[in-house]
Amino acid sequence: MDLGNLESLKFFYPEIVLSGTILLLILFDLFIRNKRWLGLMAFLGCILSLVTTFQLYGMSPGWLFHHMIILDNFSLFFKVVSLLAALLVVWMSLGCREIREIHQGEYYTILLTSALGMFFMASSSNLLMAYLSLELVSITSYILTGFLPHNRRSTEAALKYLIYGGVASGTMIYGMSWIFGMTGSLDYARISEALFQGQTNHLALFMAFIFILAGFGYKIVFVPFHMWSPDVYQGAPTPITAFLSVGSNAAGTAILMRFFFPAVSRLGEGGDWLFISGVEWPHFLLMVSMVTMTLGNLCALNQQNLKRLLAYSGIAHAGYILMGLVVLNNDGLKAMLFYIVVYLIMNLGAFLVVVIVANETGKEEIGDYRGLAWRGAAIPAVCMAIFLFSLTGLPPLAGFVGKFFLFAAVIKQGFYLLAVVGIINSVISLYYYAGVVKTMFLDFPEPTDPQVTMTANTSALLGVLSTLTVLFGIYWGPLVHSLH
Amino acid sequence: MADPYLAVAILFFFAGIVVLALLLIAEKVGPKKPSPVKGEPFESGNSPKGDARIRFPVKFYLIAMLFLIFDIEVVFLYPWAILFRRLGILGLVEMGIFLLILVIGFIYAWRKGALEWE
Amino acid sequence: MIEPFVGDLSLVVFLPLLGAMVLLFIPRSMNRVLFTTAILFTSLTFFWSLRVLWRFQSDSGEMQLVERVSWIPAYGIDYFIGIDGLSLFLVLLTAFLGPIVILASWTISERVKEYLFFMLVLETGMIGAFVALDLFLFYVFWEVMLVPMYFIIGVWGGPRRIYAALKFVLYTMSGSLLMLVAIIYLAARNAQVTQVLSFDLLRLYNLHLPYEEQFWLFLAFALSFAIKVPLFPFHTWLPDAHVEAPTAGSVLLAAILLKMGTYGFLRFAIPLFPEAALAVQPFIVALAVIGIIYGALVAMVQPDLKKLVAYSSVSHLGFVMLGLFAFNLQGMQGALYQMLNHGLSTGALFLIVGMIYERRHTRMIDDFGGLWKQMPLFSALFLVVTFSSIGLPGLNGFVGEFLILLGAFQATPFWAAGAATGMILGAIYMLWMFRRVNFGPLSRPENQKLQDIGAREIVILAPILALIVFMGVYPRPFLSRMRFSAEPIIQRVESKKEATPLIFEGGRSRESQSHGN
Repeated sequence: MDLGNLESLKFFYPEIVLSGTILLLILFDLFIRNKRWLGLMAFLGCILSLVTTFQLYGMSPGWLFHHMIILDNFSLFFKVVSLLAALLVVWMSLGCREIREIHQGEYYTILLTSALGMFFMASSSNLLMAYLSLELVSITSYILTGFLPHNRRSTEAALKYLIYGGVASGTMIYGMSWIFGMTGSLDYARISEALFQGQTNHLALFMAFIFILAGFGYKIVFVPFHMWSPDVYQGAPTPITAFLSVGSNAAGTAILMRFFFPAVSRLGEGGDWLFISGVEWPHFLLMVSMVTMTLGNLCALNQQNLKRLLAYSGIAHAGYILMGLVVLNNDGLKAMLFYIVVYLIMNLGAFLVVVIVANETGKEEIGDYRGLAWRGAAIPAVCMAIFLFSLTGLPPLAGFVGKFFLFAAVIKQGFYLLAVVGIINSVISLYYYAGVVKTMFLDFPEPTDPQVTMTANTSALLGVLSTLTVLFGIYWGPLVHSLH
Repeated sequence: MADPYLAVAILFFFAGIVVLALLLIAEKVGPKKPSPVKGEPFESGNSPKGDARIRFPVKFYLIAMLFLIFDIEVVFLYPWAILFRRLGILGLVEMGIFLLILVIGFIYAWRKGALEWE
Repeated sequence: MIEPFVGDLSLVVFLPLLGAMVLLFIPRSMNRVLFTTAILFTSLTFFWSLRVLWRFQSDSGEMQLVERVSWIPAYGIDYFIGIDGLSLFLVLLTAFLGPIVILASWTISERVKEYLFFMLVLETGMIGAFVALDLFLFYVFWEVMLVPMYFIIGVWGGPRRIYAALKFVLYTMSGSLLMLVAIIYLAARNAQVTQVLSFDLLRLYNLHLPYEEQFWLFLAFALSFAIKVPLFPFHTWLPDAHVEAPTAGSVLLAAILLKMGTYGFLRFAIPLFPEAALAVQPFIVALAVIGIIYGALVAMVQPDLKKLVAYSSVSHLGFVMLGLFAFNLQGMQGALYQMLNHGLSTGALFLIVGMIYERRHTRMIDDFGGLWKQMPLFSALFLVVTFSSIGLPGLNGFVGEFLILLGAFQATPFWAAGAATGMILGAIYMLWMFRRVNFGPLSRPENQKLQDIGAREIVILAPILALIVFMGVYPRPFLSRMRFSAEPIIQRVESKKEATPLIFEGGRSRESQSHGN
């Protein structure tokens, strides 16, 4: 199936719905007084788009818009992930005080635009499309990061993000130009053909890949392209931090896999991927993965600010997710996809608790969580403990299952060193996650510490997320099934 | 190794070395005698007038951006106008949607007061 | 977990969890109701475990009361539980101590709901780990124990509770994650050989791996279990955790959680990797004996009652390890028996220390003296427990230690002699401690106002003491049920004896390595 412009529109409903919602949001923002409706509208738009995405599930793969966009279950999966992220973040924003004080119309508009960009990231089958979608996501992310007016941290973070992003995408497009120069095409399928004829130079190819990885790695947040994340996570409004941590990560992984799989490798016998000889991908990624998770975890050890801590833990988790890419087979791929879903749920949950606490206290330092469980917020504290232990990978929570699959894939292929490094990292991460739990439960509150309460809205969302975290920890069969 | 790109890699390497070396040598060897004249900004030989950092009203940027957006619009309109007959009704509808999106942006800018100078 | 299953064994596992769920719906202020509910559910669990005992056929070494439900078919993970002579009594012990420790926590008045919740979740984790026959399921239960214990130590513990809690969790977790790697590796290897991906323990028993692989896998499992036991160099978390935990926490820690380690060796590490187990036998036996003597010596000089009991645990668990790694029937039966004994006697000791601590808010031995005059009943019970811990003939401790030494003398006479010395040291420190606490002049004025133990405390101690005496005079019903399950393991190891290179005898070891390469 290779469709032209008009025929493609039939399979383009999710994007169309989302674009329509964005336009309506802009218009309604001008005429509606009660800005809360805008959030609800964005929410509805996401749901509608989600429904149309599900309708497309299970179709035979095909290309849209003259080979620009690929439509298969893989891209649909990531569309669902991005939409879920956007949906949950919109929901979270509705209950967030920080957001209530700023221009909500623009906020939701840009948030959805970012999600739209992630759609294209997951489904681009052309380097140009990949670049454009990456930029769409990046630019909207810069704006969202700096969305808090009169907040120095937010502004600083946005500027830092912009500069790092500029360098990264500049490097990436330079690498793309090399690929274009070597293969004469921007289309993944043609690139693959050209590369497998074996005419290209390995060294040059390797350099080009490294350059391109800079751009993708910056989105996934792996070392050494991680420097922006702690500042940005800390400075951005919390729902945006949550969105960046899961959405940007997932979309980055998607675009990376997309690029890796059809463009520079082929499906071999028995589900293994074949690579162009001479380019040692597994070992390169192995190093990146190990360094990323180790550095993320070590830096997280000494953090005082919870959002910053979660940023470093996010870096570590990017490392875990990369583990699945190291093994280069379908097991690893499945493990990665599963982990991304699980990570989405538990990480959003953790940030939601940050929002709940910040709503009442306005603070995000770990010290401000002292005795949280004993000052009216037992439920958020328990949920936070669930999310954090799940991030650590303790059974019977979803994070454990995710890690289990990743380790299983890695061990099966004989990467024992990677598995052991992953294990050691899990222990390190336990230390700081348990430290937060300790502050919430084991330290007792001072009388001056404010009480923390929840609204019906946030508690509903919290309930959904924590239930899913536990549920996927105990019975995850259906989810795995849907990944096939 | 007859790798043609090896030359490029070597070039990168030496370029880096040369840059670093020049910087280092200049830093270590060069005499430093700062004077007010040397510290002045370079304006092609003229003596500088006023401060190099003048404040612009932020409105200029706004206007520049708006100009850019609608300029691009015209760029897209132009090829369509040339091929108008061949594209037919479909092209018209497509352009209509494109313009609609831009009009929404225009209304937005208008309502937000971006077009007012004061 | 979608299909309904309510086998007897599952009920025993999940009744406490059900109780924990029920607790969530009881208002926080109703302490009495909370306690009663918890006791109700733990007692129910105990009665149901008696039903398991009744249904258990004592003349079989097979897994009994097996329940198997496919859990995650794509990965060959089953909900697979069963019980045999090795786990039967440990399950019973856990269920038996359940209501007792909750009754012993009656004096806790802060955050009762959370406390009881964690206690009940912990009980489910412990029983589940004993009956799980699927490695994945076992790992889940194994880790489920971690979090409640973390909170129990960390929230309701002593002054250094936070440090102790974190130390406990980090130690345990670092060991168990390596075990996870080994589990996955084992399943993957099994899938390679048999083309079936499965975490089924019984199926994995049949997998025969080359020595080199066994060795590393054994180490990964053994590290995790050795930390839990705790075997000598890995014991440093134990004194902290024991001392800082609240009474009930210490009791469960000593009586059940430590047994997880020895049980793990028995159920997993040894039968899965018999050759490796044989090869490292001298090493582990040496560590066990070092642990016995070291634990005893350190216990001797402790000024703090609870610390003394904690270090005595190190010593006693050394005996268990010695018995296990004698690889003969006496040793293994003795080890199993001693696991129960230690659970009862050390559990009771911690309860007793807890009772005296509640009255005096100190645990320093020097603060006491002459308690016999003031609290005769208490001291009498204390004496019986002390004797049990020492291993006085007629009480349970004797049977276990005797069997272990009998087994150990056959296997490694030299180390067995060392262990016997440890027994003497044990008698010294326990009796010395007892004398300093209970005899002598009742000099301190605070001690003269002490009340003897009341009805609740008698109810707590009486069943334990009854069992201590019963197990001392009539061990047959216990030993006979253990026998049939222990024998296959010994046979497995025995059959490998010829084939296994001994790593501590230079020549053969090098030979094996060259084979491995």
